[in-house]
Amino acid sequence: MSLKSERRGIHVDQSELLCKKGCGYYGNPAWQGFCSKCWREEYHKARQKQIQEDWELAERLQREEEEAFASSQSSQGAQSLTFSKFEEKKTNEKTRKVTTVKRFFSASSRVGSKKAEIQEAKAPSPSINRQTSIETDRVSKEFIEFLKTFHKTGQEVYKQTKLFLEAMHYKRDLSIEEQSECTQDFYQNVAERMQTRGKVPPEKVEKIMDHIEKYIMTRLYKHVFCPETTDDEKKDLTIQKRIRALHWVTPQMLCVPVNEEIPEVSDMVVKAITDIIEMDSKRVPRDKLACVTRCSKHVFSAIKVTKNEPASADDFLPTLIYIVLKGNPPRLQSNIQYVTRFCNPSRLMTGEDGYYFTNLCCAVAFIEKLDAQSLNLSQEDFDRYMSGQTSPRKQESENWSPDACLGVRQMYKNLDLLSQLNERQERIMSEAKKLEKDLIDWTDGIAKEVQDIVEKCPLEIKPPNQSLAAIDSENVENDKLPPPLQPQVYAG
Amino acid sequence: MAQANGAPQPGAAPSQLCVFKLVLLGSGSVGKSSLALRFVKDDFKSILPTVGCAFFTKVVEMGTASLKFEIWDTAGQEKYHSVCHLYFRGANAALLVYDITSKDSFGKAQQWLKDLEKEFSPGEVVVMLVGNKTDLGQEREVTFEDGKEFAESHNLLFMETSAKLNHQVTEAFGAIARELLQREERKENQPPPRGDARLALGQRLAGRANCCAR
Repeated sequence: MSLKSERRGIHVDQSELLCKKGCGYYGNPAWQGFCSKCWREEYHKARQKQIQEDWELAERLQREEEEAFASSQSSQGAQSLTFSKFEEKKTNEKTRKVTTVKRFFSASSRVGSKKAEIQEAKAPSPSINRQTSIETDRVSKEFIEFLKTFHKTGQEVYKQTKLFLEAMHYKRDLSIEEQSECTQDFYQNVAERMQTRGKVPPEKVEKIMDHIEKYIMTRLYKHVFCPETTDDEKKDLTIQKRIRALHWVTPQMLCVPVNEEIPEVSDMVVKAITDIIEMDSKRVPRDKLACVTRCSKHVFSAIKVTKNEPASADDFLPTLIYIVLKGNPPRLQSNIQYVTRFCNPSRLMTGEDGYYFTNLCCAVAFIEKLDAQSLNLSQEDFDRYMSGQTSPRKQESENWSPDACLGVRQMYKNLDLLSQLNERQERIMSEAKKLEKDLIDWTDGIAKEVQDIVEKCPLEIKPPNQSLAAIDSENVENDKLPPPLQPQVYAG
Repeated sequence: MAQANGAPQPGAAPSQLCVFKLVLLGSGSVGKSSLALRFVKDDFKSILPTVGCAFFTKVVEMGTASLKFEIWDTAGQEKYHSVCHLYFRGANAALLVYDITSKDSFGKAQQWLKDLEKEFSPGEVVVMLVGNKTDLGQEREVTFEDGKEFAESHNLLFMETSAKLNHQVTEAFGAIARELLQREERKENQPPPRGDARLALGQRLAGRANCCAR
């Protein structure tokens, strides 16, 4: 709030706003204080003059060269050259001269165009204006066509929109917050009027609101996206630098549940990055939101493929942060600011698009605040990585730089595996040898032990015990016993 | 305010649905997503055809009236705590979830409440405290009385649930819906002056711009 009141305090004198030529129309600093018509005239005049000067310069130089040639010719003539050779030389000289002049002229014209480019950088040249106006015209035509289907309400809406755009034209010098407030008020009023007066059902109101947003924002975009009165551009650069400094952050540090080694997943990651980068190319806030949503959907698919279960918010936010870090989308802050300022507020605070956009805001806020603790690193490590002294990738040979292609990465991994295998093989060989030796030692040892024992207790075969032999000898009398009974069969 | 939040204003058309935004808050793995999943799809951790489980909508019938819930899940990890206030914008209700088997998560829920109080004036949002995982009763660290006492002292709704056993889940969301509708009715009976609503919107916008700018 305090910011706003400060901005309000800047007073601009009415006379300073008028065209420098005094034609009565309003001027624009982008057109060096002229109004559009006078600026075009001035610009054209300056350009004509430039071309004229270039021509004159070229002609003068040509004349000088001819004179120089003539003088050298006269001195050469005294050396009595044959006529044919002289002729030949003359034509040679002539062609050379023509090309130099041509070369010079083209170069000078390039200089001229460079000057023009500088002017263009200061103020968009009429031709650029024309190009954007083609798209604006197309959008207007579509808008009018769309409104025709609503008859009276459509007319009313068109009238209001026109009035609003005219009002906004005069509010260009206000602070961006005030312009944003005007736009938000306009959205609210139009929707309210349609519902209460026009009795339009809410679904249709929403549709009309989308078209209104598209129409007005295509027109206002140039003036309200990253305006000079704010430090949006500075913030863009700050976050861009910050993301660049954080290039070493790995998915593991952020606990990102995405495995990029699965080709399908890495595909999704690339698509998500493309979508978030594409956001900058859209003009309408709703289209920008659609890019964020598409990016988020790809993030969800990537997590789902990796984890094999639908992702929750606990997984989603870290992955989105990783995508933003990897993509480093252009003019990130400007885009976020632009959408928050000029998008229909209902779409931002509720709805799926709003949800994903909020997540993007969270991701950016997190990146800005990110510290050693949030990456589970020690402060020293974090500082060293940030200053670029070391990189975690160099220490862990497994993390090959992300720009190395898949095949190379695979090769390095295979090499790693091979060397590991080699090492294991050697270990197995040495252990096998050891085992062999152990076995030999063992048999030797056993043999030796057996030997020792045999030596210690030599085998002595004693004669059989007398008393034991007597038991057997008593059996001799068994022969005298009667034969055993035999079974007999009795008849009957 | 209803309009600023995207909810169509009451009275414009009788058939239309009021949309209410509900934010799920709580530390990691207390079962925020499971609660929402159980409520929306009557399901517990099964493979779903949908890719994401972070944003849900569900229409709830409350007798004669019906309303649409828009559920925003948030990342519960400690490190994201500092950025989570961004989710609060335009919320109508908040569900503070803790795990009854973890005293720590109960403490975190209280911290979340403080964050909410920073963003909203009292009575602006319906807040409900939910102790989840009653199926793990034998490992309980936070008693029912502790939860209830805290909730009552801060004027919150309170319930204990089990997303796994589908115990009290629908009831919890139903209680929020009832409260929301009651507040809406009260508001309808005494509509705030128009100028006020506009001012409030302006303030919120200003706050929003500053918030992202930081």
